[in-house]
Amino acid sequence: MVPLENYLALSAILFSLGVYGVLARRNAVLILMSVELMLNAVSINFVAFAVYLDPGKITGAIFAVFVITVAAAEVGLALAIVIRLFRNRATSNVDEAAIMKW
Amino acid sequence: MATEVLWWIFAAAIVVASAGVVFSRSVIHSAIFLIMSLAGVGAMYVFLTVEFLALVQFLIYGGAVTVLILLALMLTRTSVTGLPDKVNGAQAPFAAVVALGLMAILIGVAVGTDWPGNVSDTPANIPIEQISEKLFIDFGPPFMIASVLLLVALVGAIILARQEEGE
Repeated sequence: MVPLENYLALSAILFSLGVYGVLARRNAVLILMSVELMLNAVSINFVAFAVYLDPGKITGAIFAVFVITVAAAEVGLALAIVIRLFRNRATSNVDEAAIMKW
Repeated sequence: MATEVLWWIFAAAIVVASAGVVFSRSVIHSAIFLIMSLAGVGAMYVFLTVEFLALVQFLIYGGAVTVLILLALMLTRTSVTGLPDKVNGAQAPFAAVVALGLMAILIGVAVGTDWPGNVSDTPANIPIEQISEKLFIDFGPPFMIASVLLLVALVGAIILARQEEGE
């Protein structure tokens, strides 16, 4: 049985890679993909903690289901926004769409 | 012991694929790496003996989300010349510093903490009936709120992406 720390370290690496992607990338779709990496890291953490530390072992899986639900809704909406942005500005780079930046 | 060897192989595959997502020069390659990474996370759920979540992961992430992302990439191609666009902003070095610092802190805390009850017993397989009972009885109201959220997101996405008259 793999110890709990391995799962936590894997999820930390995944989350940090996602943070790097969100901060460094210019393309909005690539930023969205990095957000997906971060959400997956969080789901791994939930399930690992529940399986190892929770006597019922189920609540973490339920929370992971909700995380997946919210991620699906977020991807649908965000890609609609990206397509609308591309139609109006002919770009999907976030630093060229800085009209709301103060 | 064979399980641990397999675990390490899958963990290395996930890390390599995720690094491919954030470091790749081409957006299409990033999307392909993302599919690999999400499939690896599904395998992690199998290692954690939550097969239901692995199924959900393969179906929703591997099927729906990646198709959506690939479609959006196809619809927003900018480089008609074929030359790769500049993918990273000028802030990339600072982002690397932030991400490395965060990773060091998180791994340090995760390894340094003495987790209670972290014994080496094999976790029992979780039957799907228990998950459904928990989801529909104990988490009934959040489940309904989540369904409303999905409906609102669906309508909102249609309204946002719709081609209006005169455009």
